[in-house]
Amino acid sequence: MQADQGANALAIAQEQRALKDANHDLLFSWLLKACALLVLACLLGAAGATLWGGRHAFGAFGWHFLGSDAWDPGNDIYGALVPVYGTIATSLIALLIAVPVSFGIALYLSEVAPPWLRTPVASAIELLAGIPSIIYGMWGLFVFAPFFADHIKPWLTDHLGNPPPVQVPWGDGVIPFTPWAVEHVSVIGPVAHLLHKLTWAFGQLFTSDSPFGASILTAGIVLAVMIIPFISSVMREVFQTVPTRLKESAYALGSSTWEVSWDIVLPYTRSAVVGGVFLGLGRALGETMAVTFVLGNAMSLSPSLLDPGASIASTIANQFSEAAGLQKSSLMALAFLLFVVTFFVLLIARLMLRRLALKEGR
Amino acid sequence: MIESAAGVNPQSTAAAALAPCKLQVRDLHFYYNGFHALKGIDMDIPEKKVTAIIGPSGCGKSTLLRIFNRIYAIYPKLEAKGAITLDGENILDPGYSMNRLRSKVGMVFQKPVPFPMTIFENVAYGIRHHEKLSRTDMDIRVEQALRSAALWDEVKDKLKQNALGLSGGQQQRLCIARAIALRPEVLLLDEPTSALDPIATGRIEQLVEELKNEYTIVIVTHNMQQAARCSDLTAFMYLGELIEFDQTEKIFTKPSKKQTEDYITGRFG
Repeated sequence: MQADQGANALAIAQEQRALKDANHDLLFSWLLKACALLVLACLLGAAGATLWGGRHAFGAFGWHFLGSDAWDPGNDIYGALVPVYGTIATSLIALLIAVPVSFGIALYLSEVAPPWLRTPVASAIELLAGIPSIIYGMWGLFVFAPFFADHIKPWLTDHLGNPPPVQVPWGDGVIPFTPWAVEHVSVIGPVAHLLHKLTWAFGQLFTSDSPFGASILTAGIVLAVMIIPFISSVMREVFQTVPTRLKESAYALGSSTWEVSWDIVLPYTRSAVVGGVFLGLGRALGETMAVTFVLGNAMSLSPSLLDPGASIASTIANQFSEAAGLQKSSLMALAFLLFVVTFFVLLIARLMLRRLALKEGR
Repeated sequence: MIESAAGVNPQSTAAAALAPCKLQVRDLHFYYNGFHALKGIDMDIPEKKVTAIIGPSGCGKSTLLRIFNRIYAIYPKLEAKGAITLDGENILDPGYSMNRLRSKVGMVFQKPVPFPMTIFENVAYGIRHHEKLSRTDMDIRVEQALRSAALWDEVKDKLKQNALGLSGGQQQRLCIARAIALRPEVLLLDEPTSALDPIATGRIEQLVEELKNEYTIVIVTHNMQQAARCSDLTAFMYLGELIEFDQTEKIFTKPSKKQTEDYITGRFG
């Protein structure tokens, strides 16, 4: 009889315990859900607030806001083309430089370097990632930009830039010709003409009259230096997750270290690597201080990478404190466009990954 | 037999009467970060036979196997001393081309490790490294390899699918196909069935039986029944030394060493 009662009490206690656990789990899952929703709310809130703040600019200029390179506070006319172009161009240059370099750093540290060297170098890279951007900006302004103006820029202009053009009538217009093309104008056919136009367009990228070091290319290089630590430490970490036995099986088939890295390690870690690259790109797109220092803040569109320009973030940083009315609204609209640009970049990354996965037969 | 006279354990060469010797191991020592892992191994592995290496964990059997294709060399601080002769050439000689060695000696690992690519590419990958083949020749080679690995019928309609979609046993047979696609002479199997279920294990063992007509096979196994079932010769290793090496039948019925007998009867290990 007593034993029966004891068993009964135990059963009740167990039931209570189970009920309590279920309540706890429910509470916990709601708490987690709230945390996750907070992120979404912040994102939507920020996007909504900038869109709302920019409504006057969008209302006043409509689609023209996107396509116009005007930025004239005197006449209250604003367009987003210059800062949007500057943001994308500097970020792309940064990626072009940073991705291969980071790949090399990460591969060296995970596959090639002797073990005693790996940890110190990896820690140094993480320290680099922690340096505030204003310090990169100062270094860019005081050290790199003057060096760029004195040494790199003249070399680029001399070797890749276009010489002063000669205006030559062609068809029903006048086109700028290089002296070389003028000399050979009698033998230039349509293909050579196209080729000439392309090389001319390429040369324009490196043709500049400005004597200063601040330019889109300078900003791109400084950005590259800033995002290399991010991309390379993500890459190094994911390269270390590749199973040893996978690499060994490739070595056992006779592969070299390069082949193992390129054919096995990279495909195995591809989505994480792309994630790391886009983490760096995200940082480059939104970077403000360092870019403001070395971009030159010129609100004019130039085909040359050696001319100063402006980015969305630098324009906002430079003008926000004194802006009012339509100018302030335009800056808000620019901030909204930064959201849109970032969103599209991430979208493209997703689509790229999906296509690669299809190709692999997954 | 003449060379076995001076200092070589006669036990190690007794088995060689079975067939011509393919891999000849002489006084092999291996050091792992200064740790003496293999202590003077002498062994004659005969051609086109299955040689099993058994022994308790840590006895050095996998280490020995990993020296046969010098896969250990991708890590620093590992050192092998002595001689391993493959067709009369010492493969431990630094001048012996790694590329050549690995096209002659294929290896299959414990766990199935398909590369992150399609089934076709998994097999073609190694071939491409060593030979330039036209598309049709490559198709033929891949099919041959998959057929020899008894996998063709199961995958012929999904060659363009990712290899990670195959079952564990299929993945392991794909790894064998990948290794024999290079047309090696020696095939090293490092506990190839330890991650597989009994049915998949049975298929691999059957495959080993078929493959020995063309390849010299060395298999490391934890499973003594497996060694007894599918090998012609068995080597028993203990604490970095080769204790006994003889015909499988003899090892499992009347071993000449006490340690071998203790291990086989389950008294230790």
